Amino acid sequence: MALAARKIEPHMVPVALVIGGGIAGMQASLDIADKGFKVVLVEREPTIGGHMAQLDKTFPTLDCSSCILTPKMVEVGAHPKIELMTCSEVTDVQGEVGDFRVSIRKNPRYVDLNKCTGCNLCAEACVQRNRIPSEFDMGIGKRSAIYIPFPQAVPQKYVIDPNCCFMLTKGKCGKEPKCQKACGTNAIDFKQKEETITLQAGVIVVATGYDHFDAGLKPEYGYERYENVLSGIEFERLCSASGPTKGTIEINGKEVKRVVFVQCVGSRDKTVGNEYCSRVCCMYTIKQAHLIHEKIPDAKITICYMDVRAFGKGYEEFYDRVQREKVVFRRGNPSEIYKQGETLMVRGEDTLLGESYEEEADLVVLATGLVPRDDTQQVGKMLGLPHSSEGFFKEFETKETVATSREGIFLAGCCQSPKDIPDTVAQASGAAAMACIHLAKARTRGTES
Amino acid sequence: MKIGVYVCHCGINIAEHVDVKAVTDFAKGHPQVAIARDYTYMCSDPGQELIMRDIETEHLDRIVVAACSPTMHERTFRNVLSKSGLNPYFLEIANIREQCSWVHGDRGKATEKAKDLVSAAIAKAHLLEPLRSQEKGIIPTSLVIGGGIAGIQAALDIGASGFEVYLVEKNPVLGGHLIRLNRTFPHLEEAAQLIRPKIEAVLSHPNIHVMTLSEVKAIEGAIGNFTAEIRRMARYVDEDECDGCGECIEVCPVERMDNFDYGLKKHKAIYLPAPGGDTTTPVIDCASCLHFQDKSCDRCEKVCPKSAIHLARKEEVEKIDAGTIIVATGHDIFDATKKTELGYDQYDAVITAPQFERLTSPSGPTEGNLVIGGMVPKSIAFIHCVGSRDKSVGNEYCSRVCCTYTAKQALWTSKHLPDSEVTVFYIDVRTFGKGYEELYEEAQKRGVIYRKGVPSEIFRRGEKVVLRGEDALLGQPYEQGFDLAVLATGLVPSEGAQSLRALLKLPLSPDGFFMEVHPKLRPLDTAADGIFLAGTCQGPKDIADTLAQAHGAASRATTVLFQGKVAIDPVIAFIDEDICSGCGICEQVCEYAALNLDPYRRVMTINTALCKGCGACNSACPAGAISLRHFKPDQIMAQVHALCLGRGRQ
Ligand SMILES: Cc1cc2nc3c(=O)[nH]c(=O)nc-3n(C[C@H](O)[C@H](O)[C@H](O)COP(=O)(O)OP(=O)(O)OC[C@H]3O[C@@H](n4cnc5c(N)ncnc54)[C@H](O)[C@@H]3O)c2cc1C
Ligand SMILES: Cc1cc2nc3c(=O)[nH]c(=O)nc-3n(C[C@H](O)[C@H](O)[C@H](O)COP(=O)(O)OP(=O)(O)OC[C@H]3O[C@@H](n4cnc5c(N)ncnc54)[C@H](O)[C@@H]3O)c2cc1C
Repeated sequence: MALAARKIEPHMVPVALVIGGGIAGMQASLDIADKGFKVVLVEREPTIGGHMAQLDKTFPTLDCSSCILTPKMVEVGAHPKIELMTCSEVTDVQGEVGDFRVSIRKNPRYVDLNKCTGCNLCAEACVQRNRIPSEFDMGIGKRSAIYIPFPQAVPQKYVIDPNCCFMLTKGKCGKEPKCQKACGTNAIDFKQKEETITLQAGVIVVATGYDHFDAGLKPEYGYERYENVLSGIEFERLCSASGPTKGTIEINGKEVKRVVFVQCVGSRDKTVGNEYCSRVCCMYTIKQAHLIHEKIPDAKITICYMDVRAFGKGYEEFYDRVQREKVVFRRGNPSEIYKQGETLMVRGEDTLLGESYEEEADLVVLATGLVPRDDTQQVGKMLGLPHSSEGFFKEFETKETVATSREGIFLAGCCQSPKDIPDTVAQASGAAAMACIHLAKARTRGTES
Repeated sequence: MKIGVYVCHCGINIAEHVDVKAVTDFAKGHPQVAIARDYTYMCSDPGQELIMRDIETEHLDRIVVAACSPTMHERTFRNVLSKSGLNPYFLEIANIREQCSWVHGDRGKATEKAKDLVSAAIAKAHLLEPLRSQEKGIIPTSLVIGGGIAGIQAALDIGASGFEVYLVEKNPVLGGHLIRLNRTFPHLEEAAQLIRPKIEAVLSHPNIHVMTLSEVKAIEGAIGNFTAEIRRMARYVDEDECDGCGECIEVCPVERMDNFDYGLKKHKAIYLPAPGGDTTTPVIDCASCLHFQDKSCDRCEKVCPKSAIHLARKEEVEKIDAGTIIVATGHDIFDATKKTELGYDQYDAVITAPQFERLTSPSGPTEGNLVIGGMVPKSIAFIHCVGSRDKSVGNEYCSRVCCTYTAKQALWTSKHLPDSEVTVFYIDVRTFGKGYEELYEEAQKRGVIYRKGVPSEIFRRGEKVVLRGEDALLGQPYEQGFDLAVLATGLVPSEGAQSLRALLKLPLSPDGFFMEVHPKLRPLDTAADGIFLAGTCQGPKDIADTLAQAHGAASRATTVLFQGKVAIDPVIAFIDEDICSGCGICEQVCEYAALNLDPYRRVMTINTALCKGCGACNSACPAGAISLRHFKPDQIMAQVHALCLGRGRQ
């Protein structure tokens, strides 16, 4: 049977630009590259992986996040059709579908990608070794001024923090920079400059993900005042076996025995301007409660909630399991968290019992919501993409979440709206399908018979 | 033979619990080990280069990597061997992370175990044989099963990518459940506006072949080369000849409840399968038509002025070839009669949410007027979680859409019947999607009352149906009468999916929906290569998520089509035909239908494209006629001997 005639479109550059290397950008890149099209994946950070790399276990099946993510990262890094640009940002986009002209700023890494072996000797030698709060560990762990964000980073190359390194901030570091001396391959180059390159792409997939709600905006929860009030993502690092505490849940060296989780911090909350639901916090809280129960079986765990939104596949079942682990679900978020001596007091109104409560806690975890990246406006302007009322990128129509109002530009993952990993991955494959419909126009295949 | 052994620290993942230096030194002591090294990250570029350099300079011919699970990096290291000109299957991995450092606390003993695993790997490495993966051509076509919004969208994407698609739908019309909805959340657009243009696009697309009234009867083959037998039910009314006059419908003596309107309206046995002018050609419901019971009636055939009706037509079977398959068979609606206490089959004033959609839809039986028993209801109750989150009916899962569609229906009611009183009874309100919380807010603002606590019972008192339950917020029981109660019935696995599941040999999740192969990172793939999932057949979801998944499934399904070929893993079973007596025991244990009896030679044969190398057949074979490449008996026994020797050493 003959196929519909496929005409060659001269104006389709058979290259996809993917912005953001979280799980969404990675999945979209792999789906496009596996079909034989070239992908340029631009990631701002020194490594791909995004937020998923920071998670401990993932709900509801509790597989270890980095165990399932690392093979994917390796695959992206090694794919012959994917050109990975880390420490890079898209600064300008001109043109239209088929022929976008893209400018990319490559920020200096100060480490030669070709020479670095990832051996860690530089970080060991750094005079600021274990002094600088690690972004990856949400400040709970420390790193050097030359560092690798986490051991499984892709590419497995070190990077110098230009805001901390003495050579870059003060022009000198002792007699000579120890990292440079320690490096066996002469990979460190303090003279690297940022450079801007331009390239052409036929289609663009935007996968810039989300930020965490700043719990400091709810001062009544004492997030900024008390060190034992943590955000959801901080708890992930605290709990992670590969995290700064190797997974022991301790505050000031003491194992916690009473933990209170607070849902909807920065979500479903008009007082902070976020009416929307963040879609994952109920589940990640239930997961975190379970992880504590597993590690500290006699811990008293309470989850304060408004509605428990366990809607995905296997989620309700997981919720049920955790309820049976004697985790107390208390309906009604606290109005206030304060300290009495060493103990946190969580005060609120239990709407089921119709009475007020005061819970004592050694640790409070705030289920901070997912918010748009702070540069969404800027990126949107560059790409000509509008955003919806809550600030995430706007999809073409409410139900067509992959396409945008601009032909040839597609959305994947949490940059469109909060969602969990399965939904992110499905959407990212969807973005790849839409992108490849365009890219296919650049090819002819001799399969007709 | 020269073996190289590479022991990975995996940062501290392995090194913390295993003395990697000791393991490396131990490996060096093996007679045929030419070189043994340890390194922080063997999988890193420098780690890989280390191995490549040694292969070149030391002329190694077998490699053992002691690191993480082969599922992580076996492919990485096989590539290293290929790049160095070695056969990629000359690699053996000793998993000293998941099987050692991660599970043992005692460093001394963990190190001993790591040594044992390394010796076993060395022992097997001696016996490794070169294997080559084969490539096979593919059919650049997809088969999409199910013509709801999921199947339609997947077909459109595949067609637009330039591949041929067969879209098989068992009903006479496309559109699935969506075509029966009134308006859709969160912005209350007409469902028809969403689905109709897509149906038209699919019908007119040159690459897409739509087969309605069709079902898959049999499937054979494997990724790249499936063959499906499609049973095409006869269309007794010829679409080209019929002019839609409707006389046949008038003369038909049979009346029956219609499925399209969820039992709200009676239809004839010959009927229009979709209202609203979507189609003017009637179809015949064979289950109720008298002709197909006892041939006692042929009035429609006689009356047709165009002679467009042919009751003698027979179903046909068509064979189609396809490289990939997408399953998009959707869901069914929970049968509310199973909750007898809610009185659905007793009271007309208790209806289901899908019925509510039909009653409020302009194309519905009441032309969009919500009328119950001749009256416009003044007080309306919506009840959440009917058949969901309910272990008593075996459905523990949440149906994901009912909270939001109820908010939509409640809002519709408060808008269209402004004098009515609307109350929603809920457990939790799960309005999680983009714009959904806002919809819930709007409903509340419009005066919809949300009451926490679903009724345990519905009964009749006078003109009203009375809901009895416990208000969880007030901590008090309630008894409240309404003119209408709408049950938010959940989404359940579709009945048609059951037979399909057996045909395709796909596993189901505990909730009865099709199971994806990995819940996080491969939500659209199934355990069978080349078969993918889209939409509610995988689990309940709304239209936005269904569409995202449908696009995604199209991507997954076109990957091999774009590639134009599939690689066949050589690690599969093979049969020694001199020993095989064709007893067929292996066929019974094979999950993938990869084994068949060759009737002429009376020996079993293996479909190399289907075999996954799971090892079930070779362990079941009573004669030892089957072995698995790369895991042959001598290779495994060598490992076992090495492990036993290790025990002796301690
Ligand atoms: C505390 C917590 C726990 C969670 N637990 C789970 C769980 O157990 N299970 C689950 O399914 N989900 C969980 N989630 C949700 C999960 O994190 C997300 O679904 C997933 O990470 C989304 O991936 P993404 O790629 O869309 O976004 P991100 O992970 O945010 O990735 C975006 C990437 O884009 C890069 N980027 C951003 N802007 C630019 C730019 N302008 N130029 C270049 N690059 C840019 C970023 O650096 C980043 O690498 C959790 C979320 C939180 C907050
Ligand atoms: C009352 C109600 C209201 C809703 N309201 C909304 C709303 O407002 N907004 C929203 O986003 N979502 C809503 N939904 C959800 C929405 O209906 C689903 O997301 C959508 O219909 C799923 O589409 P699908 O293609 O996966 O499945 P389906 O619509 O079930 O389509 C599956 C198709 O496959 C066919 N099929 C099944 N088995 C076979 C087989 N073996 N061979 C061939 N064909 C087969 C079926 O006949 C059917 O045509 C609502 C659901 C309900 C119940």
